Amino acid sequence: MNPVYTPVSELSEMILNQETSPLELTEMFLNRLEKFGLLLNSVVNITRERAIKEAKQAEHDIRSGKYHGPLHGIPFGVKDLLATINTPTTWGAKPFQKQMFTYDATVINKLNKAGAVLCSKLAMIELAGGMGYKQPNASFTGPCATPWSLKHWSGGSSSGSGASVSAGLIPFAIGSETWGSILSPASNCGVSGLRPTYGRVSRHGAMALSWTLDKLGPLCLTADDCGLVLEAMAGYDKNDLSTTRKTYRYVADTHEFRFGVLEGSTSNSDKSVAKNFEKSLKILEKIGSVEYMDFPEYPYEAITRTILNAEASSAFDEFTETGLASELTAPEDHYGPYARTIVLAKDYLKALRLRAKMAKIADKSMEQFDAVVAPGRSGPSTPIDEEFRKVAPGTTKDLMGAIGNGAGLPSISVPNGFTDEGLPTSIQFMGRAYQENRIIAAAVAYQDKTSWHRKHPKMFLPK
Amino acid sequence: MSEPKNESEILFTLVKQKYGDRLSEEQLIEVKSNVEKIVETAIELREVKLDNSDEPFSVFIPYTRAGK
Repeated sequence: MNPVYTPVSELSEMILNQETSPLELTEMFLNRLEKFGLLLNSVVNITRERAIKEAKQAEHDIRSGKYHGPLHGIPFGVKDLLATINTPTTWGAKPFQKQMFTYDATVINKLNKAGAVLCSKLAMIELAGGMGYKQPNASFTGPCATPWSLKHWSGGSSSGSGASVSAGLIPFAIGSETWGSILSPASNCGVSGLRPTYGRVSRHGAMALSWTLDKLGPLCLTADDCGLVLEAMAGYDKNDLSTTRKTYRYVADTHEFRFGVLEGSTSNSDKSVAKNFEKSLKILEKIGSVEYMDFPEYPYEAITRTILNAEASSAFDEFTETGLASELTAPEDHYGPYARTIVLAKDYLKALRLRAKMAKIADKSMEQFDAVVAPGRSGPSTPIDEEFRKVAPGTTKDLMGAIGNGAGLPSISVPNGFTDEGLPTSIQFMGRAYQENRIIAAAVAYQDKTSWHRKHPKMFLPK
Repeated sequence: MSEPKNESEILFTLVKQKYGDRLSEEQLIEVKSNVEKIVETAIELREVKLDNSDEPFSVFIPYTRAGK
């Protein structure tokens, strides 16, 4: 079996059965990253030397009987906002192109401990999109394309993480989401992307955009792989006091699911997105109950947007004051940070107080469901040279994003079809806090009944 | 002039005074629009009533090197 486009769960069996080895896999994926990374603009730096060293160690350990689990010997890449020793960590931004850290982010340490092999730092929207970018050319590495069409955008801000998994350049990748940055590239690139519960994964060593909204999560070929990777990433970290002490073990529990369909979730959607979502609901009816639901009126978007504006303004205060924004790639990012310097402290605190209410409202509204479902994105990938939004962030409605990110809830996006142009669309399953296993199980059950996750862009199929 | 407009005008003036020398006229128009959006968002929040006891979920943990 060719390892390209083989899920982590099967790659690990191939390693155990000696059909391949960590070193063989690593060299093959390093070569693919080098061959296709520039074509997609999905790669910032390839960590070849480190990867070979880690792969040899993995091979030695496995042969010695010290097997660490399903990620042992599996290559991976990370969004370039995670601190890494001996390799620049650029945050996707020209002013930080040569930035070096003297430590690895906790999540990299955890994945290394599980035996995974770091192969690449992956492209991202500059400063995780925190400056208000409106079009794909917002990274010093250039606009990242979806492997489904080089003329269309990969999504962002975890652009390279989505595109590299979709093109089979790496079996899995780590992305981050403050508001939409894992689900957007997962959707545009036709892969599975998991945003965990806030605090499930340590943010230590990750660029801060918004301390109370930032989450790290995996982008993989399957929902099942997302569970395997999350288990290795999750856990308490004394360097990040927001991490939970609740232990996470991935268990794909199968039972009759209860799905809530968000009312009006396709009202502003692209026609193909709406059509594919309706078809997905028919599949969900085969694995559980499906009923429509809604969240009560509350200023969800205003709460999450105010928190993001205030925290991002503080996180990038020195950057803003010194005028470094003018060196960013996207013209709109040159002025993006200035307006939000006027968010009043009382409004930020009001948003934090309302968030506590919002979290309770969301939990109550979702208590009878395993997952609330909606399209992963309202539209497919947009052309790579066009604005994907005509207005400032926060002007358009995104209820799932506002509640999910504001209340720190997990969500998984999986592919659910294509547009007439051949661009992927997606469905997302959002769960209550700490209920990752429920939503992953639901997504796995959906993928057991469909084959969208097994379709891959022709240009990148191994010959 | 309505109150929201007043507030956004005042806040935009602050931004312009502080950063105006590094922004073009076109950029200032965009910044003004973004300030108006931020104020509109804040007004939406201010309209929701809260009780004195309604606290954020934020947790401050007094620190000692030795831990708790």
